[in-house]
Amino acid sequence: MWEQIRSNQVRSVILIALIAGLLLAVGYFLGLYFFDSAVGGLVIALVVWAIMSLIAFFQGDSILLGMAKARKIKPDDAPRLYNVVEEMKIASGLEKMPDVYIIDDPAPNAFATGRDPSRASVAITTGLLQKLNRDELQGVIGHEIAHIKNRDVLLMAITAVMLGTIVILSWYASRFLLFGAMTGSGRRSSSRSSGGGAQAIILIVGIVLMILAPIIAQFIYYAISRKREYLADASSALYTRYPEGLASALEKIGSSTRQLKSANKATAPMYTVNPLNKEGMKVSDLTSTHPPISERIRILRAMAGGASFADYNDAYRKVHSGKPGIISKNTATVVGAVGIREASLSAPGELALASGKSAGRTTPGTHDVSDLTLRLDKWRTVDCECGARWKVPPGFRDDNILCTRCGRRIRL
Amino acid sequence: MPYWGWIIIAVVVIFIFWIIGAFNSLVGFRNQVKNAWAQIDVQLKRRYDLIPNLVETVKGYVKHERETLEAVTNARNLAQQASSAGAAERGKLEGALGAALGRLLAVAEAYPDLKANQNFLALQEELTSTENKISFSRQYYNDSVLKFNNKIQMFPSNVIAGMFNFTLGEFFEVTVAAEKEPPKVSFT
Amino acid sequence: MLCPVCHKDALIVEYQDIELDYCPVCHGVWFDAGELELLMASAGFEDFRRYLDGIINAPETDTQEKKHKCPACGHKMKKAYIDPDSKILVDVCHIGEGIWFDGGEVTRLIQALAQKAPDKGPSQGVLAFVGDMFKYQE
Repeated sequence: MWEQIRSNQVRSVILIALIAGLLLAVGYFLGLYFFDSAVGGLVIALVVWAIMSLIAFFQGDSILLGMAKARKIKPDDAPRLYNVVEEMKIASGLEKMPDVYIIDDPAPNAFATGRDPSRASVAITTGLLQKLNRDELQGVIGHEIAHIKNRDVLLMAITAVMLGTIVILSWYASRFLLFGAMTGSGRRSSSRSSGGGAQAIILIVGIVLMILAPIIAQFIYYAISRKREYLADASSALYTRYPEGLASALEKIGSSTRQLKSANKATAPMYTVNPLNKEGMKVSDLTSTHPPISERIRILRAMAGGASFADYNDAYRKVHSGKPGIISKNTATVVGAVGIREASLSAPGELALASGKSAGRTTPGTHDVSDLTLRLDKWRTVDCECGARWKVPPGFRDDNILCTRCGRRIRL
Repeated sequence: MPYWGWIIIAVVVIFIFWIIGAFNSLVGFRNQVKNAWAQIDVQLKRRYDLIPNLVETVKGYVKHERETLEAVTNARNLAQQASSAGAAERGKLEGALGAALGRLLAVAEAYPDLKANQNFLALQEELTSTENKISFSRQYYNDSVLKFNNKIQMFPSNVIAGMFNFTLGEFFEVTVAAEKEPPKVSFT
Repeated sequence: MLCPVCHKDALIVEYQDIELDYCPVCHGVWFDAGELELLMASAGFEDFRRYLDGIINAPETDTQEKKHKCPACGHKMKKAYIDPDSKILVDVCHIGEGIWFDGGEVTRLIQALAQKAPDKGPSQGVLAFVGDMFKYQE
């Protein structure tokens, strides 16, 4: 387990090679048709790809986190969350503790980002934090940390960039083609061609490629993405020694029909659960970045024998009778037998704050998560002698409020 | 020099490089074991620090459980005093401490006032987390020890190990009745 | 959140683990569905969902009052009586995110409570709680 055997990467690498091949083919034909130079086309393709890669590489994390309006938290802001992330860091063998972010959104979801394991971040919505108990939280965080450890973020980013480049090139090619057709001044190669026949073939192949390449690339992208999701589920079960934790969390997430406020097609694969599920619909076919939740839950719950990769593989085969396993044999046998542990006692939504932050509560934990959001948003809290607790937004200008319950004036 | 002279020199040089390589590899594994142990040690110390606070908090709410509380304090002191002992010895003491803690927390379940106490909840969370971290870092430590010991015992690195007196690492096994892990079987 | 009527920042008041949003300008109160559920659970009332649906699906009331937008989902809220007997007209979110009491309704509610105890029924707890929390106004 501590040495990630890369043979599972081999299949993914093959898929990436396929996309790369598509990218080069598109560049080749684009160059051949428009500029009489296949090499020119290849160069253009590579330049576009390089620019997009650089942007994604250096700014990817901050763009993603910024788009989601994520806020970094300190260990005492949410001790239970922070502890769980630290536990998964140890269990997975990750070298450095990732940054932990909270997203103020009622939709339950989580994601991980980071181009290499030593510069990684994990983000979770307040909606999810509120719903899960400790074991479930551990399962979800374990899944995210697995993405970091398995370098899925990097993998998906590379693939996404290639997909993006193919789409851009194909789009421009089609524009040029249309432009050429409309104005009647389509570039015809007159020098090196060996006759009209070869011209026509190149044209046809080029057009077919322009249309099909983005589609094929998308399928490949989704296939890779789904495969990594299964691996992340399996890894989470291994790290936590408790597959039911993640299973139960997925169940809670799946039964919520809320849509995440700020996700789009590009960022979808990074989330724990597909954030683009239309309310009530099940998006679970070849065009989906995540395998269907119900299936993921069934596999996790079929892991009766133990929590290792081999057990996950067996469960996968049980659920998909007939299909070969999803995890290659080498990865599956790297660890010996791993037993499943007992459940731990905990209530959902509790952040386990020390007394300073929430003194005088009757039922601790009820509003932990929303209070955390208020604190991060710089709200002030004042307690009235009658037992009411007033929370004041940062923009509030008056220097006192009237406690409507008892009539006392409270200075701010 | 006759040609076979060069061959002998080449063989000797290769041999020396192999010795250096094997030695460094052993040192590398030994350091990994040390680091892994240090990580466990941090968590064990954290547990020692948390327990007195826990005992004080619980005392106020829980009458007639003096024995359970004392058992925890004693187990904790015993384990802490053995801080410099080997992994096997500490494993036994930590196991006893874990069991005593478990009994205390089980007892606390029956006192709703205690369970509503903010301080107790925060401590309980810290202890649960520390237990988990001990468990996970123990796994990592034991895996490191296994790799190290394999190197020491298997041919040909056992020759180097013997020459430079590398000693086998001790596994850190915490025997607690609640744990249900089956014996580790390696398929590789 | 912003008050649906004045669009100014609302304060939050928490008592016995129930949180309400209160606008100090118009004295309106927002009772979030989650908080409603907590209140009813603590009063031993089980079927909070059915209660809320009952209000949402009540026939459209004939009123001139201006419709406000729900602070949680952004859609216009329905005007409905909180229960068949009382004359307390509230705004309820069309998908059940919560209930809005206009400042005027709160005052009327408190006056009604002063005269007699609220009728038996699930609304009893809700009205009593709101009445208790907002007895004193500027």
